[in-house]
Amino acid sequence: MKTSVWLGLALLGLALWISPSSAASAQPFAFPSVDGWTPAGQPQVFAPDTLYDYINGGSDLYLKYDFEELAVVEYRKGAMSVSAEVYRHRTPDHAFGIYSQERVPSAEFLAIGAQGYYENAVCNFIQGGYYVKLSGENTGTDDRATLLEFARRISAKLSGPSALPEILAAFPAEGKKANTEKFIAKDFLGYGFLHSGFTADFDRSGRTYQLFVIAGNDSDDARAMLQQYLKQIKHEAPVAEGVYQVADPYHGAMALLWKGRHIWGTIGLSDAELRAAYLKYFEGVAAR
Amino acid sequence: MEKTAGIGRRDFLKSTATSLGGIAYLSASLTRPPDAPDKFEGTRVLGRTGIRLPIVSMGVMNTDNPQLVRAALDAGYVFLDTAQGYQRGTNEAMLGEILKDRPRDSFVIATKASLPKDQATGGYGPDATEEAYTKKIDTSLKSLRLDYVDVYHHHGTWTREATLHEPILSALQKAKKAGKIRAIGVSTHRNEPTVIDAAVESKVYDVVLTAYTFRQQHAAGVQKAIAGATGAGLGVVGMKSMGGNVRGAYASGQIDARACIKWVLQDPNVHTVICGFTTFDQMTLDMTILKDLTLSAAEREQLRRASMEAGLYCQGCGGCVGQCAQGLPIPDLMRAHMYLYGYRNLVAAQDLVLSLALPRDICGECVACPVACANRWNLRDRVRDIVRLRDVPTSFVA
Repeated sequence: MKTSVWLGLALLGLALWISPSSAASAQPFAFPSVDGWTPAGQPQVFAPDTLYDYINGGSDLYLKYDFEELAVVEYRKGAMSVSAEVYRHRTPDHAFGIYSQERVPSAEFLAIGAQGYYENAVCNFIQGGYYVKLSGENTGTDDRATLLEFARRISAKLSGPSALPEILAAFPAEGKKANTEKFIAKDFLGYGFLHSGFTADFDRSGRTYQLFVIAGNDSDDARAMLQQYLKQIKHEAPVAEGVYQVADPYHGAMALLWKGRHIWGTIGLSDAELRAAYLKYFEGVAAR
Repeated sequence: MEKTAGIGRRDFLKSTATSLGGIAYLSASLTRPPDAPDKFEGTRVLGRTGIRLPIVSMGVMNTDNPQLVRAALDAGYVFLDTAQGYQRGTNEAMLGEILKDRPRDSFVIATKASLPKDQATGGYGPDATEEAYTKKIDTSLKSLRLDYVDVYHHHGTWTREATLHEPILSALQKAKKAGKIRAIGVSTHRNEPTVIDAAVESKVYDVVLTAYTFRQQHAAGVQKAIAGATGAGLGVVGMKSMGGNVRGAYASGQIDARACIKWVLQDPNVHTVICGFTTFDQMTLDMTILKDLTLSAAEREQLRRASMEAGLYCQGCGGCVGQCAQGLPIPDLMRAHMYLYGYRNLVAAQDLVLSLALPRDICGECVACPVACANRWNLRDRVRDIVRLRDVPTSFVA
């Protein structure tokens, strides 16, 4: 009995030791000093199971994007204050994903990190696996300059690539609406078996629609996703690399191309001719 | 100690597991009210607002997929819950694009906003003015492309003072008078009983949106506050049925959302629960709750297992101390229960039980247990279950 108890405890300990929550060994972000500004207290740090304490229901979405840690501090200078939040996500794609969920396409975009923007006393940017959110309070007419200075200081302390996900460049430029690209980390198109996907909004001749690309882990993963999808929408066809014209019960007519680990497609595009043109475009991209 | 005839270690574990009856210690809250109609109709009235809603609703916060929202509305979901803060306003904007094509009386919508609060105290500063909150309401209406919203929640309060913050209440009342909102709500994710009680006290709020889950250590307090709110005519909307702000819920693994939702809806004072589904399949499955609130055996087992993770552990709040007519040391007995069922440590559990010098006749002549547990545990069953360890020979256990 004692042996089995100790064995059980040992296994429990091992399980806890290797669990994802304890595997994150990175140090909390060390905030920079900014001339004239004083941090109001020590930074607060939140983990996946405590993020709720900070942003309540908003945390659910961050968790979908493989949130790992948040460090928060408030800087003060007289009556002015700047709140700095540094969210660390598992991958740069996931950081881009949550950023893209909150990005406002009409904002003023800035060359900071991989991309950033300023709007109404808010400056947000991404860099590597980090999503940084800055907001000013009573920062007056210097608001933009102040937040940009904070953004630069924080950016200088972050590691990781300062570029948007490479695959976004594969979307055609013609008709693409600026800064509408997104990364959906889970349940892409509303299907649990499509684990993630990149999208961009398009507008041509008054028609608005989306193009997407799903990046599987490998060709087998892409095949499995496509197979499940075709089964779900009751589209009877052999699963092989190539093009598909399908009728999705929720999304309507869609064009798909599977090649290697990628599945390309259109959403909300009723023009069959244009769908066919995009399939040719996707084939060209896939052949590169 | 003598060995009781017929009880061995294996039999003991088997019989105690059986005695749990699946989720016996959740039984009080999991059974349908005795006067429940045979055929559940699937709708309840949201308090004095008079709005009749399906008992399952859609929380839109987790999705940016407009087709999912359209499909939900087409499938029979009526009530949509969003917030100005979700995706920095883009969630409201997405709904605006969807709802502009639908008859206004075909859906019910709630949104919410707050003003900056002190994260340490939960209180508002001097900048939390009526004017600032009115701007929030107007921004929501603009994003949603609506003339009015059905419920506007004062979002995310956790103190009485913030809940009763006069400038915000004034802004909400004026908006209601102006026809911008039909009902005034408050949403809370922590310290919920205090907020709900304050909402009743205010005589301003019509609706409360509260975290409510079997995982809450203070679920009994939430249940009591909700009962008070409905008694005062407020509508009650449940959220975070799968865990939300409960530590450990995030890491606790998979549990069927429907089991969690049904658990909340066993409380007849909850009028609807918002569900944060993100797939068409989940949407369809959650909808089945409308037809049948009964928890299946598998769902009960899932809840039992999840409770073992999040609710098995006595928090030592001391609320039960002194309530037992026999003076039983309830927290110690619950600790022993945790040793056995949580840690599977029979030795520690028995050592603790034997050290307590318990009376032979547990529960005496009590017919009903007078002890109220903050976790809503069925203490009588748990106590009677764990004290049987006295009858297992120590030599056998060791």
